[in-house]
Amino acid sequence: MDYAVIGTRVPRVDAREKVTGTAKYAADYSLPGMLWCKVLRSPVVHAKILNIDTSKAERLPGVKAVITAKDFGGWTWGFMATTRDEPPLAMGKVRYLHEGIAGVAAIDEEVAEAATELIKVDYEELPGVFDPEEAMKPGAPVIHDYRPNNVSVEYHWNYGDVEKAFAESYIVREDRFSTGRVTKGYLEPPASLAYYDPSGSITVWAAKQSPYFHYRHLAACFRLPLSKVRVVQPYIGGGFGGTKNDSVAGDFCAVMASKKTGKPVKFIYSQEEELMTSKRRHAMITYSKMGATKDGLLTAVQAKVIAEGGGYTAIGPLSMYLAGASIAIPYKLANFKYDGYRVFTNNPVCAAMRGHGITHTRFAHDLQMEMIAEELGIDFMEMRLRNAIDNPKPGTVYRTVNDVTLNTCGMKEALTAIKEDPIWAEREHAPKRVGSTSFGVGISGTAYVGGARQLGHQSCAAVIRLCEDGTANLLTGATDCGQGSDTVLCMIAAEELGMKLDDVVIKRVDTAYTPCDPGSYGSRVTLLAGQATQIAAAEVRKQLAEAAAKTWNAKPEEIQIRNSVVSLKSNPDKSMTLENLAKIASYSGSGAVIMGKGYSSYGLEPLDFKTGAGNGGTSYSFTAQATRLGVDLETGHTTVTDFLLAHDCGRPLNPIGAEGQNEGGAVQGLGQAIYEEFIIDQGHTRNSTFLDYKMPRSTDIPDIRIIDIITDDPNGPYGAKEASEGSHVSAPPSVMSAIHDATGIWFKEQPVTPEKIVKALKEAGKWGK
Amino acid sequence: MTTFYRRLPRFDYVQPTSLDEALSLLGRYKADAKPLAGGTDLIPQVKGRDMAAPRVVVDLKAIPGLDAITYDATKGLTLGAMATIANVERSVLVREHYPMLSNALTTMASPQVRNRATVTGNICTAVPSADSAPTLLVLEAVLKLVSQKGERLVPITQFFTGPRQTVLTYDELITEIRIPSPPPKSRGVYLKLSPRKSMDLAVVGVAAFVVRDGETCKDVRIALGAVAPTPIREARAESALLGKKLTDESIEEAASAASSECRPIDDHRAAREYRCDMVYVLTRRALTQIKEEAL
Ligand SMILES: Cc1cc2nc3c(=O)[nH]c(=O)nc-3n(C[C@H](O)[C@H](O)[C@H](O)COP(=O)(O)OP(=O)(O)OC[C@H]3O[C@@H](n4cnc5c(N)ncnc54)[C@H](O)[C@@H]3O)c2cc1C
Repeated sequence: MDYAVIGTRVPRVDAREKVTGTAKYAADYSLPGMLWCKVLRSPVVHAKILNIDTSKAERLPGVKAVITAKDFGGWTWGFMATTRDEPPLAMGKVRYLHEGIAGVAAIDEEVAEAATELIKVDYEELPGVFDPEEAMKPGAPVIHDYRPNNVSVEYHWNYGDVEKAFAESYIVREDRFSTGRVTKGYLEPPASLAYYDPSGSITVWAAKQSPYFHYRHLAACFRLPLSKVRVVQPYIGGGFGGTKNDSVAGDFCAVMASKKTGKPVKFIYSQEEELMTSKRRHAMITYSKMGATKDGLLTAVQAKVIAEGGGYTAIGPLSMYLAGASIAIPYKLANFKYDGYRVFTNNPVCAAMRGHGITHTRFAHDLQMEMIAEELGIDFMEMRLRNAIDNPKPGTVYRTVNDVTLNTCGMKEALTAIKEDPIWAEREHAPKRVGSTSFGVGISGTAYVGGARQLGHQSCAAVIRLCEDGTANLLTGATDCGQGSDTVLCMIAAEELGMKLDDVVIKRVDTAYTPCDPGSYGSRVTLLAGQATQIAAAEVRKQLAEAAAKTWNAKPEEIQIRNSVVSLKSNPDKSMTLENLAKIASYSGSGAVIMGKGYSSYGLEPLDFKTGAGNGGTSYSFTAQATRLGVDLETGHTTVTDFLLAHDCGRPLNPIGAEGQNEGGAVQGLGQAIYEEFIIDQGHTRNSTFLDYKMPRSTDIPDIRIIDIITDDPNGPYGAKEASEGSHVSAPPSVMSAIHDATGIWFKEQPVTPEKIVKALKEAGKWGK
Repeated sequence: MTTFYRRLPRFDYVQPTSLDEALSLLGRYKADAKPLAGGTDLIPQVKGRDMAAPRVVVDLKAIPGLDAITYDATKGLTLGAMATIANVERSVLVREHYPMLSNALTTMASPQVRNRATVTGNICTAVPSADSAPTLLVLEAVLKLVSQKGERLVPITQFFTGPRQTVLTYDELITEIRIPSPPPKSRGVYLKLSPRKSMDLAVVGVAAFVVRDGETCKDVRIALGAVAPTPIREARAESALLGKKLTDESIEEAASAASSECRPIDDHRAAREYRCDMVYVLTRRALTQIKEEAL
């Protein structure tokens, strides 16, 4: 395909601002007369709040407002109408350690911090429950009265006939897998500057990756029409789902304090505060039963998934949907049963994170498939190739038992690319043992949904305004939270308009001016805001072509615009600059103001959380990954030397961006696989800082190579599918597979730390051998 | 904790320009004062309210000459209290005469932190995992402690008294770390085990130092970090090797002795059993490395 901009390697449009430090983040904003807000937090994990005495704090000189739950009049929020169980500040009851109790606004941050210490709270402690399986037992402490069994979300789906299929299987395995409590690890903690102005409108400069969630939360909480809530987007220092798709205690307190005092109010969480109170990934236990024929063809899967949810429901209904809905991809499966339980505990709240929901079950099932292959004596690559879904012929669709529909599937092609690469093909020739280090190579083959949908608003939009000098402004409600979407959207606009990339300028989201958008989650921005941009640009281009055709007495179809030069297809000598054409189009006759708008239309198929049927997104990416690593059989340390990812993102529109996302996802997946986990003891997190919560650093990560598998999906602009989460899902099973190759031991619990490896080696009589 | 502080508590900050002035400030404010070197331990602790806020912070950075690094074949190495980890690590003198010290310091933190932090600050904080401590223990460093009342020399083996506790009194400063010249035919190694390859704390740190006479070990010094309330010398492992040749068997014996003697805590950073196992592994590795290095 002959694209001028799409598929080229270009610098990010925001690179200069970020590298030179001129990009402003939420914490960089201030206004004259601004107050600072600080949140007082609970020192107990589960308790009734008997009384909050704020009088001393209010009397401290410099304190301008103290906020407690009662200021919010009982308002709560949540993902679905039936799960709105979370208040801005703890209301009558504390459900996890460090839940927000009160907010103080004062003339500076020191006074605000000091004032929090003067608030006296009387608690009546309640017994807590911290393990989801304990919490499900009758008689366990009840965390929310509306869910007396502590189950916050529950799904039971049944496709085909698993009982019959297991009975007819040659082999059936049952295993328990688990994933840990991990966090996003962005550099920028939650922060916002809020102003409730005298006209009764709210403006916030907030660190949000999905500002339109926040806009809806503020409108609902403060009972204002959406037209009076304005969220202005600063640059965002990373999102990865969860917290920055949501609102935090500080957000509500700052706006409430501004309303009370008439002054702008700012807050910044400390990194430890973010780690302890913001939403993290669910930890999930997967009890999986898998059957196969003698030839290794999968017959049935039955998965009981128990997720630890923490104190509130948050986005849990979607997490549990995703964990189940992906069971029948990327391998052919005629029968599956899914019982998903998301359970309240007195631990911090769990929500979405990159690889949302799917990472847990795909980890379990990819690994379990290898275990079956091992028992059957089938090569792990061969096992995957036998089961992988074929790429549907153009114009046809592959439909899973639960009505997930694939227009394209590069799974086999991706696996084959790995199979042919020396990392896999020549693995027997690479050294197996050096000193105490045993080397291993592992693989995985996984799928991820892109263009994600939730229930409610789905569509992305874009507006393009042509400037009379032949440049353009792009407005969209989709947020670049660091993933690079501003760059790819500018590329799409430039491609369609025939404009130089530098001449397209994207504006940051501002809910007062940019079109409404669902948010930057579920790998949806390139697909849906991308389509919207494509449509908006085509509309502008059409108007330009008409103006050119009129000038040259030609037909609009004969006009060609490329690299900001306009010419006649039949006679390339006839040409002018785009600037010239823009002037002609804008000034001639009565003049014109040239604008284009578009909104996305992919993904209209049904989706049902109750049955698990349908598509949670517009299309699906497929990733095959090989990992080579060494395990020190004495210390248990794993050193990962190589990652090779063959990723089907349909078509990489911005190749550097797609590579970066693939690499970042795989490294984050590596963190979850062998390094990271919150260690919680009776609701108290023992590793509350990045000193003890071990994220891998640049010195720990392998060489990473990426192979793009091009499938050109019809449900994405220029054939694109997602490229930001698939590699997060492929990394953990691939790493576990390699650790198994190196040690001969199957590890089914993430993270596989050195200590766990040594323990397992000792049990197997292999320590130091 | 009920408030996550972002601001430092209030304290007075003074920057004396002479040692006398610094000592007199410490003498005056006693427990209310805290010396400040690189601040990479002090500031995060004060900010996190992990320690009571000092009333006065006495910054040692403007005292002339306190950052000197000098070497003399008879007296050995002298590190001024304000010598940064980066400067000690990179010093040609240190690299030539005390390569194990330079290597041990390179395992610490990040280049940015090492540019700011001091070796003295590392041992004054006195956490069990302090990375410079095992090496200073086996090199038998001596600390010069000075107050208005006078000065005293304290061998580092007697310096640590508990987690974050030392023999330093409130009005005292360390002004020098003195490290004797290593005897001829001596070799030393520090091995650090941490989950990540950089910017991480030791789960276990092992320093081994052996002086040989012909084939036999005439002096053996083994020190461990992160496995006891303080960094410690490991006498049983040392005596297991003394007077013997370095062989796989004798090394094995010393490593087992070190492992069975250590009394680490069980915490979120590592279980006791794992730490003891790793003392064994690292001691064996360190001694094997010494054995294999040409004299
Ligand atoms: C990101 C990071 C990573 C780190 N990684 C490591 C690591 O890998 N290994 C490790 O061991 N440590 C590590 N540390 C801890 C710290 O950097 C070291 O302990 C460092 O050596 C402290 O030196 P400093 O000069 O900054 O001490 P400061 O913080 O200035 O002082 C530390 C203590 O010593 C006292 N003090 C300082 N100088 C004197 C003196 N002359 N006389 C008497 N008392 C004095 C101070 O009052 C204070 O109590 C890390 C710290 C950070 C922030």
